[in-house]
Amino acid sequence: MSHIKELTKGIFKENPTFIIMLGMCPTLGVSTQVSNAIGMGVSVIFVLTCSNIFISLLRKVIPDSVRIPCYIVIIASFVTIVEMVLHAFVPSVYEALGVYLPLIVVNCIILGRAEAFAGKNGVLDSALDGIGMGIGFTLSLSLIALIREVFGAGTITLFPVGSFSGVISIPGLSESPVRVLTLASGALLLMGYLKAFFQWKTSRSRGGEA
Amino acid sequence: MTRYIKTAVILFLICAICTALCALVNEVTAPVIAANTENDRLSALSDVAAGLEIGEQVDVGDGTVNYYIPLSDGGGIKGYIVELSASGYGGAMTVIASYGDDGSLMQAKLTANSETPGLGKKAEDPGYMDMFIGLGADEPLPASKSDLSAEDNAAVSGASVTFGGISSALISGSDFVKGLGGAV
Repeated sequence: MSHIKELTKGIFKENPTFIIMLGMCPTLGVSTQVSNAIGMGVSVIFVLTCSNIFISLLRKVIPDSVRIPCYIVIIASFVTIVEMVLHAFVPSVYEALGVYLPLIVVNCIILGRAEAFAGKNGVLDSALDGIGMGIGFTLSLSLIALIREVFGAGTITLFPVGSFSGVISIPGLSESPVRVLTLASGALLLMGYLKAFFQWKTSRSRGGEA
Repeated sequence: MTRYIKTAVILFLICAICTALCALVNEVTAPVIAANTENDRLSALSDVAAGLEIGEQVDVGDGTVNYYIPLSDGGGIKGYIVELSASGYGGAMTVIASYGDDGSLMQAKLTANSETPGLGKKAEDPGYMDMFIGLGADEPLPASKSDLSAEDNAAVSGASVTFGGISSALISGSDFVKGLGGAV
């Protein structure tokens, strides 16, 4: 049962974006299109899960005095792997993510989970924590991107499959979108409203429990 | 002393394993990345070549013009393809443009860019470059939004930085081609 908790806590109760407020820079930077959010989210799930597993496996070997350099080397290696794979096989996502992809190395969620969880817990729990936190981050990022793209550009950009171009145009909104939402200021505004909503939901559920 | 050596060895081993892992993945992805880059470049070149024969690339690298390629119809040189570096709202952009030998723009395409979707990203749309095509010889290319028609001005509204970057690069490209004067 506790294993399931490790997996699900990152999705709502300890959501990295809306509750812990980690990884704000890529959240605001790449949430302009749904496809970018999914690409970034999947990259973070991969890096977070792999680095958590490795760090958990090596937690008794890594000396305490050099644990941060070791964590950074492990995380940077997985980020480099993701970067090379995306560049080769999904170049459109690689180009769209731009500088935010290498910046996963210093994403607070990854280093935060390595320091707070993987360095102190077993491999299975660390892997589940990485997957759960990664899914929570992906869902939050996708929600922000969906709202920003639908209202800010009047489109939903997914991935092209066969004859489907990957772009769904929303009649009415695509002709006269709320353009401020595609800008950084719009992202901050939306983030504030979503944070307030999650805060309200959390305080309501705490009130219910009491 | 032993503690320091042990720490250094552990750090070295972790770094060595990570490097080997990255090298392995690079071995698989590097040829795919090189092939993709070349395909994208060839596709962009053929899009702007306007059916003319594409010659050999000549590197320039002066900050704006990266390289040029002469275009011919089998006989003499009819124009040039020029790859230009531009600066947009989201950072560096690359424009591939073809010019007649008098410096008039034939075709242009925005390739690498990080412009804002719904705003600057519209410069990737097929019709965006129409406002520049045919200009650069007798009639100058638009340098600012005030040089555009009311319709084109509305089309670039909200993406002035992207427009400014592209127009400035296209003007530089046109001047460069005029300087070549029909020579290779």
